[in-house]
This record gives sequence, structure tokens and C-alpha cells, in this order.
Amino acid sequence: MRPFTYTSATNKDQALQASTKTSHYLAGGTNLVDLMKEDVERPDQLIDVNKLDYKQITSNDKGGLTLGAMLSNSETANNPEVRKNYPLLSMAMLSAATAQIRNMASNGGNLLQRTRCPYFFETSMPCNKRQPGSGCGALNGMNAKHAIFGYSDSCIATNPSDMCVALAAIGATVEVQKPDGSSRMIEFTDFHRLPGDHPEKDTTLMEGELITAIHLSEPQLSDKYYYLKIRERSSYAFALISVAAGLQVEGGVINKVGLAMGAVAHKPWKLMEAEDFLVGKKPTKENFEKAAEMALKDARPFEANKYKVEMGKNAIVRALTQANDRKV
Amino acid sequence: MTKTVNASGVGNAIDRVEGHLKVMGKAKYASEFPVENKVYGQGINSTIAKGEIVSIDTSEAEKQEGVLKVITYKNAEKLKTFDKEMTAIGTDSIAPVLQSNKVNYYGEYVGLVVAETFEQAQYAARLVKFEYKKDPTAVIDFETSKSKAYSPDNGSNYSRGNMQSGLSEADVVVEQTYNTPIEHHHPMELHAVIASWDNGKVMAYASQQMVDDATIAISATFQIPKKDVRVVSAFVGGGFGSKLNLERHVVMAVMATKMVGRPVQVTVTRTQMFTNTGLRQQNEQKMKIGAKNDGTLTALSHETLSHTSTNMEYQEPCGMISKMLYKVPNSEVTYKLIPMNIQTPFAMRAPGEATGSFALECAMDEMAWKLKMDPIDFRIKNDTQTDLHENRPFSSRLLVECMRIGADKFGWKDRKTEPGTNSKGNWLIGYGVSAASRNSPFQKSHAKVILDLEDDKVHATIQMDGTDIGTGTYTIVAQTASEYLNIPVEQVTVELGDSNFPVTPGSGGSWGAVSYCNGARAACENAVNGLKDNRNIPIDEEVALAELLKRNQIKTFEATGMAEPSEEFEKYSVFSFGANFCEVWVDKDTGMYRINRMVNVGSAGKILNPKTAYGQIIGGMTMGAGMVIAEQTLVEPNFGNFITRSFADYHVPVNLDMANIDVIFLPEEDKIANKMGVKGIGELGITSVAASIANAIFNATGKRMRNLPITPEKLIDAKVEPGISV
Repeated sequence: MRPFTYTSATNKDQALQASTKTSHYLAGGTNLVDLMKEDVERPDQLIDVNKLDYKQITSNDKGGLTLGAMLSNSETANNPEVRKNYPLLSMAMLSAATAQIRNMASNGGNLLQRTRCPYFFETSMPCNKRQPGSGCGALNGMNAKHAIFGYSDSCIATNPSDMCVALAAIGATVEVQKPDGSSRMIEFTDFHRLPGDHPEKDTTLMEGELITAIHLSEPQLSDKYYYLKIRERSSYAFALISVAAGLQVEGGVINKVGLAMGAVAHKPWKLMEAEDFLVGKKPTKENFEKAAEMALKDARPFEANKYKVEMGKNAIVRALTQANDRKV
Repeated sequence: MTKTVNASGVGNAIDRVEGHLKVMGKAKYASEFPVENKVYGQGINSTIAKGEIVSIDTSEAEKQEGVLKVITYKNAEKLKTFDKEMTAIGTDSIAPVLQSNKVNYYGEYVGLVVAETFEQAQYAARLVKFEYKKDPTAVIDFETSKSKAYSPDNGSNYSRGNMQSGLSEADVVVEQTYNTPIEHHHPMELHAVIASWDNGKVMAYASQQMVDDATIAISATFQIPKKDVRVVSAFVGGGFGSKLNLERHVVMAVMATKMVGRPVQVTVTRTQMFTNTGLRQQNEQKMKIGAKNDGTLTALSHETLSHTSTNMEYQEPCGMISKMLYKVPNSEVTYKLIPMNIQTPFAMRAPGEATGSFALECAMDEMAWKLKMDPIDFRIKNDTQTDLHENRPFSSRLLVECMRIGADKFGWKDRKTEPGTNSKGNWLIGYGVSAASRNSPFQKSHAKVILDLEDDKVHATIQMDGTDIGTGTYTIVAQTASEYLNIPVEQVTVELGDSNFPVTPGSGGSWGAVSYCNGARAACENAVNGLKDNRNIPIDEEVALAELLKRNQIKTFEATGMAEPSEEFEKYSVFSFGANFCEVWVDKDTGMYRINRMVNVGSAGKILNPKTAYGQIIGGMTMGAGMVIAEQTLVEPNFGNFITRSFADYHVPVNLDMANIDVIFLPEEDKIANKMGVKGIGELGITSVAASIANAIFNATGKRMRNLPITPEKLIDAKVEPGISV
């Protein structure tokens, strides 16, 4: 690991002031420290933000909950209010990583998880995300686990988070502190970005900005929900495909849907067309299959990840079915 | 001789005598010995697959605080190198390193940084700049390099009868190809060494399975007398074959300690465990089986295409099991190797059987299906009590009993023959079975026993250079001493893994327990008999050990012993046998599946300790399940590096993946195998598991999964076999 300085901030202003172009905020460290060991992340300063008071879960004025950014994934997912009102989020979070990692990982950090693309991890290989301009090794290399939507010639990596797939499905707003001390709100669907010509940027966060909270609106998808994660082993494996599905059904008709996929794009992939299609429809297998077809029709798989199309459709139908079949 | 019943002797399921030390963190592994004044070495790996180092800039690294030395081929000690290209490697092979500017594979060691602290060494290692001239002829892609394969000249190709006539007699022929990927051993304990050089003498605390071979290899590599090399490997945190031979970090540590004049510790990182401590190579196995309609096998051929490195040869004997498992008169086993710019492969748990049985036992299942025979009946029909390969009887072979008893315990009769007809909700349920066999070698093994009489109690100390690789060697050797000295195990101390102790064959090849315990038995028998001899006491008269020492009027006594295979042993084929039964639940839409339960039946002679034996079998079964679930190391086709580089992407099974496991040992003693009647089990558990799972997946889904691992993406892509509707 390269030498770096360590600063422990005791309040927001201290953290923001310490921040530089080459520093990183340190929360759980479960991703950042690993990447530093691999020489992928090379901050010269770590600003520890764990002492900052963003560890609460509180009610907000939209009738929902606000999740503190420095609260651990475990505490968030197991919080009774979260479990009751946002069970889809809880289910997705508990499918991630291992209990040990979830105990350390923070909510804000989860939003900033970096891709698992092997070209990103190996510093001797080309990767535009790690080293802009060096090329994309995966494009003509090993890409069985890569994106089928929204990629560019400069990057075909996927976002690895489970939590973010659920957030994309249920909707959220990310609150960040700007270096000047003011704050701003970012719609969750705008938080992560597609790679375009700048895959080194995973998110729309600006330099020095610090995530402080995730605001959830009034719970609407808490009765019928399912997070399906298809993976190679039963825990501690990233998804091959994941689907977060939430339904609100009244009088035999769907009146609200949250649907998003993971492991298919550079950002959590919200299936808006499929969501729109399902509203006003009956929750039948046929409609779920149509929604799945719609969701995957624009997929652009590579030879090695063609399976994601078939698997993706099946996963959408299964997740919606499991959600709908859930006994309230 | 009549004997009093001994509750801690051989065959009792006692707790591990070394267990307390391990739980307390007091069992010392290689890197944990408190060696004063030690410094740390960090290996540097090449970042090209083939070519030459053109220049090296060490200036930045050398400037760093704490850095003592940067060693590359330019300033490295001259070592013994191989006399010829493509030397076949063994467990006592030399391990030259940093001897030239040539790079043979991605990840090969090209340097070592020595620094005061581990962190300083790791950081400085990144600052050494290598400039390479890449050779574009690097061979890194298995699929497109098959034409480069050669037949190794090691006598392993085999045939009996006439394959062609066997096939012409057949009513049904199965011809299929099975692929297994590169796999890695990945013991929990990283390879590590602390080496010191003192007046031409080497002391190395090293995680090695075979202490004697390690001393031979170090002395040969450095061209110093073997007596000047001491290796201590008191506890080994798993090896699975990766610690059989001397790996190059040990040589670099010895070289470094000689150069810097202080003890040097080198710990291989988890990523380096992929590139620098051996691997199981990729195998393409082509099977051809002929049978008559009544199930009689007429022909069996097993062709294996693998790879070795471009400068050393290793060949996994995948076809070994096909030579001896069934009664088939016409048989052929062949091997080809592609020299590739990938690390030299080396033995990984059940080399040959683990992968070979996957091919053979899947092909047998395919044949049974074509014959419309029950897979168990089909195997029983072709059972043989004669090893047709060696043309001699098996010392004991209870494969049929393993099959029948296992079938009964498992509930095989509830199996639905037609795939896809056993379902529950979204799950398709399938049953599968596979046979297992593993050679049970016995090798010459020495031991020493020291008896001390104190307060009417005799305390025995057993010493040998054999190792405990996590399997409980300390316990079974203590039980052996307890048995043959007739004292409780609490009065026995076992000391292992020091090259100053009597020589054993080390741990590997399923011969450890057999050899160690018989060596200890011989030493204990010699002690008791020697004490009786001295006082003219008849050998068959039972006299308590304390009484014997008293009658000799001594308080302490030493004896050595040696055990080796008998002449009778050589007239037989000595194997352990087994069968694995598996129930899988496959999700019909997502490709995910669960191994719901497994029953494993083994016939492996007398079981020294049912508790440690159970641990070894479930460990083997878990590794076998890993072969199926997700274990694979992938080679980047443009660069030649492994894209799997940590436990986050090399997927070994997690607890949730593992089934309810039932392990049964058939009561047996094989006195031809050795005087104690025991056989090896270290590799029996892994053998057969992969095929039983793949066969269960076929029974569930109608899909034949012939390429390991069987991942959800492959299951989604796979087609149901012709003629089956699921």
C-alpha cells in the first residue's frame, strides 16, 4: 500500500475542509481499503468520517425515512422501521456480501462501490475507469459478467451494488454536503451515471462532496416485494443478474410498480418502460412476461454474456411473481 | 497377547490432541515463529506472459525507508538450474528463481524486495520498474493452442485388449468430452517461510507438506550438503498438494537471508497463491465407452488433453481411474500436453481421480441412461475384484457394498428415472450417484519413541518429520502410540515436522496416515519388545509399560522403528473405494441450484479416528462440490494473467452451499495393506462428488453438464438432451 495520511474528522466542516483533489473520505472502508491494497485507489489522504453524526434513521417530511450515510448496512437492513416499511431494500441489502462486510460497510459507501471488472482490479491491464485513456480490456476480452445496457466503447463495466438496485426500484434522494458548506439533493436515478467517455466517473458527485443521507419517500411497495439475486454461490458473490420488484395491487389491478435490475449496466438499471406498462394491468404471468420482454428488448449483449438476456427475463418474471404471491 | 481395552487407542473418536493449541492460537504456523531480528521479503511478479526483461530501475524502491535490498536476476545468487528443458517436476525438485531475464509466464517472480517491515517491502515492491520486451508467441489460450500438444514421454499411455474390437462388440457407444478448468488449491494458510543463513547452514520455518523433500530441494538448489539444511513445519494450515514441493518463495527467502545477513520472512499473498504455488490445470477429457445391451462393458478409452508450462513438465493422471475401476477387457488411456505460458501445474487433491472420475463417472451415467439401466446396477454389473491394469487382485474392494449400503441410506429407490418428473414448485429435483476409488499407497516411514517414567506413569514422546496438514496427524499418531504402548493418550506427546526427526514420506497422496502410524507402531513395538528382550520376558506376555521400565531399572528408554510395505503388499492393488449420492434441487428458470443432501460411503480399511476421518471426508466432499459450483481460474486470453485473483472472485463453497452430509465408513480392516489394516482417505472424499452432482442435475433437468463448473449461466444456456422432454 502507498503511504497516505489519515485524518479523523469530528464534524462535517472539518471533513469538508480537509478534502482535496487527491483525498478520499473513509467510511466502512470495505471497498476503498481493498482497492488501495491493490494499488487501484491511490489517495494521499484518508479523511475518516465515521465520527460524523450521520448514523441515525429518522422520519422525514415526506412520510418516509431518512437513512444516515455513515450507518452500517447491517444496522440499516435490520432496523425494524426499515424492515416494516422498506422490506425490499432490507432484503436486497441482506443479500449482499457477507455479514462481516455488511457490519462494516456504510450506506453512503455502498452508493460509491466500484465495479468488480477484473481489468479495473489489475493495474498492469488497460482500464479507462482506473486510468483514463488506457483502453477497455474487457471490450475484446473477458466480459461474461459485463453490461448489456448503456455501455460505451470506453467502458462496459457494471455497478456491483445490491442496495442500489432496490433504491432504484423504490426511489430515493441522496443528500450531499458541498465543500462550501451548503447541501444539495440528487435524485437517486441521477446519482449514478453511464460511462460515456468518462468511465472514471461512477457518479454525479462533484469533487469534495460528502454523502450525508438517503431520503426515502412514503412507503408504497412494502407488501408485495421480492429481491432476486442470481449468483454462483449462496453468499459472498456478486450478482450475475438481480431484480428488485415491488408491487401495489388494489382490486386485482397493479397501481404502483418499482422494478430495477442489477449487474446489467454501469448504474442500477431502472425498468421504467416495464413499470409504466404494468400499471393498470392485472398481475398475471402473461403481463409479467410482456414486461420482461419489454425490459430486455434493447439489450446489447456480448457473445459471453448473452445468457443475461434469457436469465434477465426469467428473473423479472420470477421476481414479480414472488412479489405478487407474497401473502400480506 | 491379551490386551486391556484402551479408550484412546486406534479406532476411537477422541477429540484432537492438538485441538486446544489451535483454538488458543498457540499452534505455531511457519510465519508465527518468534525469530529475532527478522526482516520481510516481498516477491515481485512479472506482468507479461512471455518475453525478456530489458531493463530494471530499482532506484526509487531502494530510496524508501526500511528497504535493505532489491534482488533481481542481475544480483541474485547463482543457483542450480535444470539440466534440460521440460524437466518433469517432483516433490524434491530444485526451484531455481531469479536466474535470468527470461519471463515464462504472467506472474512469475522477477524480483524480491527486502525491508524492515512487511508494509515497507510491499510498497517498495511496487516501485521497482521493469521494462519488458514482449514475445508475441506466448501460448496462453488453451482452446486455440491444441495443435501444439505433444505426447509426454513418461510411459503413461496405456492400452489393453483391442479398443476397436471392443467397440465393434458393443451395442451402445457413448462418446463425450468433459472439460474441467484451472483450479487452485488455496489452503487457508498462505505459503510462508522464515529463513536464516548461519555459516553456510540454512534454517527454515516453512509451510511444507514434505519436510525431507524440502531439505533435499533446498540443498540441491543452493548446492550445499543436506545435513546443513533444517526445515521445520510444525503445523500446516492446509496444503492440498500446493505445499508438496519447494516453491520459489522459500528459495528467495534463503537467498535473501544470505545476502542481507538477517532472517527473512516471505509470505505469499493470496493473489500470488494463484501464480506462484501451483495449480490444477485445465483438462479436456474425451471418453468413449462401449457396452452390450445387457450392460456388459466392452470398451473404454480415456483421452486427456492438458497443459504444462513451457519449461517444466507435469501431467495429471486423469485416466488412472479408468484403467482399474471396471471390468472392461479393452481399454486405452492417453495423454497430451500443450506447453503454455502459464505456471507449471502440480498435484492438487486427488490428482487424476478428482478430475478423471468426473469424466468417467459422468460417461458411465450417460451409458446407464442409454441402456435404460439403473446407474447402480450398471456399475455393479461391471465390478471386478481384479485390477485389470496391474493384473493382480485388490487387497480388498467393497465398492458394491458402498453402492448398496449408500443406496439404502440415501433412499435411492425413490429416484425417478425420467428427468424432470420430480418437481416441487419452481424446483426440479434429481438424484445422482458416482463411484470413487483412490490408490492407498504406503511408503517407508521412520519414527522414534522416547519413554520417560515418572511417578509410576510412563510418558511417551513420538518424533517424526511427518506433518499435520490440518487433518489431525498429531491425534492419530498419539492414538497409535497409546494403542501399542497401552498407555492413555494423555501420556503421549507427538512432535512432528522437523527435519531433525526420523524421515517419513511426508503428507500427500493419501499415504500420510498409513505411513506415519505404521512407523509409530513399529517404534512402539520395538520399544516394548526391546524392554522385554532385555529382561528375557516373553514377547506375548502382557506387562504394563511402567512395570517394564522398572524391571529394566531405567527411567528412560528410546527406540526407533521403520515400517514399509510387505512383500505381500506388492502382490496386490491397494485402493480405498467409495460412493457418493447426491440430491440436487435446480431452479428451472434461474439456473441456480442447491445441493440438498449427500450421502458418502467409504471403504478405507480400519478408521483410525472416526472424528478426524469424518472431517477429512466432508472437507473432500466440499472441495468436490466446489469443483461443480464455481471454482475456476480464468486466463485472460490477450494478456495471459488470471482474472480471478482473490476469494471474492475465486468462488469456493460457502456454508450455505453445502448440503446435509452423511458420511459412512464400512467396518473393515485390510491387513494386506499394512499391519494396522488402515488405508488413506485424504483424497477419497473429493473423488466422485463432482460426477454425482452433475448426474443429479441431469436427473433433475435432462441437461448434461459436461463442463465444470456448472454455473447458473451455463445451466440457462444448456439444452435438454435429445429425446427428453422437461
